[in-house]
Amino acid sequence: MKHVIIGNGVAGLTAAETIRRMDPDSELTLISDETFLPYCRPMISHLLEGAVPAEKLPIRGKNVYAQNRIEPVLGARATTLDVDRRVVTTADGKTHAYDRLLLACGADPRQIDAQGRDLENIFFMRTVQQVRQMLAVLPEVGHALVLGGGLVGFKAAYSLLRRGIAVTMLIRSGYPLSMQVDETAGRMIQAVLQANGLTVRTGASVEAFEGNGRVRMAHLSDGTRVSCDMAVIGKGVFPAHGFVPADRIHTDAGILVDDNMQTSVSGVYAAGDIAEHMDIARQRSWVNAIWPEAVSQGRVAGMNMAGEIVSYRGSLSRNVIRVFDTDVMTAGRVSPRDIDETCRQFSARDLRRNIYRKLVFSDNILVGFAMINDIEQGGALTALIQSRRPVEVEPERLMEPGFNIGRLMAR
Amino acid sequence: MKQVIVHPERCVGCMQCMLACAAAHSKTGSLFTAIAETPKPRPRIHVGAGLYDEGFPNRCRHCDPAPCQMACLPGAIYRHSRTNTVLIDPDVCINCASCAMACPYGVIRYHADPLAPAGKTVAVKCDNCVARQHRGQIPACVEICKVGALTFEERDRAMKRRTEEVARSATADAAPPEQAPGFSLLHTVKKARTEINLAR
Repeated sequence: MKHVIIGNGVAGLTAAETIRRMDPDSELTLISDETFLPYCRPMISHLLEGAVPAEKLPIRGKNVYAQNRIEPVLGARATTLDVDRRVVTTADGKTHAYDRLLLACGADPRQIDAQGRDLENIFFMRTVQQVRQMLAVLPEVGHALVLGGGLVGFKAAYSLLRRGIAVTMLIRSGYPLSMQVDETAGRMIQAVLQANGLTVRTGASVEAFEGNGRVRMAHLSDGTRVSCDMAVIGKGVFPAHGFVPADRIHTDAGILVDDNMQTSVSGVYAAGDIAEHMDIARQRSWVNAIWPEAVSQGRVAGMNMAGEIVSYRGSLSRNVIRVFDTDVMTAGRVSPRDIDETCRQFSARDLRRNIYRKLVFSDNILVGFAMINDIEQGGALTALIQSRRPVEVEPERLMEPGFNIGRLMAR
Repeated sequence: MKQVIVHPERCVGCMQCMLACAAAHSKTGSLFTAIAETPKPRPRIHVGAGLYDEGFPNRCRHCDPAPCQMACLPGAIYRHSRTNTVLIDPDVCINCASCAMACPYGVIRYHADPLAPAGKTVAVKCDNCVARQHRGQIPACVEICKVGALTFEERDRAMKRRTEEVARSATADAAPPEQAPGFSLLHTVKKARTEINLAR
């Protein structure tokens, strides 16, 4: 059996290790355009912040490929896939035949349409390489512009602020993290960042960058200008399935997979940021491009590829962020765009301790929550969403300071 | 392999396990000296209040596979196979709280710890007292528990006992439960008190 995996992110690597554990004799090839050892992508913002050195990013040792008898094909992006001949071609023209294929190619940052986009010091924040380039120019940066108030923009802004750089954040919607939280939580987070030096501009986007080789100024859609000597684009990502034959492998936003992480073509699997499966809270097909789901999807895909038939339970959007002294945790449906008339919403706020709680129910099933500070019990609520178990306890009891899972147990 | 088994129905909420745990994970190892230490030793077992204020001893289950281990970004969480214990390496932990989001039991806390690098806030949770076990002692919470809410035994043995209890209670001439009557009385009183307060 010859397994080929495209992508050495955590989904691809987890699948490779799972296959190797269950099937010691098969051939394993791992193709990736990134040449750095498999690393922890969410930690690149910690690298930008200076909280961790680059040596801490790899999630496995230097001999990870040899140890698992994986043949690495690095520095070459997959360019074509022929599902009839079962062959992958890479940018260097080489071909790789497979019996079973895993698409774990992840996602690429969304490009923006602005004049002067090709000036220097305008970055995406997706790979360790991009963050290293940012670090190289940081000494000459006094003021940075961050495009987008989503998770990437948010982490970039926080990391740069921690470096003592003045940051202006441009948000199209009214408040940061509008995809993750409700307005109350969004405003609380914004207040924390502003108290620590962030300038927030809402409702404006960049029309053009200006500079002599390097970016010096951004012209905004509202006619104003912002001077900056660095810009970070955090306008979201899209699954990198451009090379996949869409007439054969069914795609939506991501590549559609069944419960065994198999695509519409037998023998071809997908996992991680590229895969689209059932969202537990939304009860519909959804791409949840987050680290823990990439791990579980890689694991399930690997087992199935090795011949052990197991099912994936579905994914759940969730995130946790610590900024300055404030912790934010969210899961499932909280943003107004995910709420409909069938939802019951509960919230509690303690101004003195700067704590906020928001719960969203569909009937008596918990489908989402947002927490600001005191987040230790967030995992219990996450598990409650994932279980889809009807909640018998009054919702207010789940928001009390002393909440613990003992309260969910019938006695 | 012996493990700590929790019997929440026997817990009276005295919190002595928390004190013993904090002392066992202090620099000096003794309660009398531990209270003067900086950082202050904190417990890794947490007695919470249930819906009727009954005690609920909550500690790490050392799940396998462990969701916290799979979610850990820097790879600080690992399994100590000899004692089947999920451990966190404080040197590697980056305090990102990814494990807080993953733990279905809510047993991980974040603070400076006597056993972590000085001044560093890290994720802290039950370590099954691996150091004590190495010295031939049993976990501190079990040693101190006066009511049998925490026991250290083979899981299979505890499961078998439980199965037999259920089987006995399901027969026609069901024997009275072995548990001392004081526990159910205590729980009834607590429940009644909560309900009276709610009615007001």
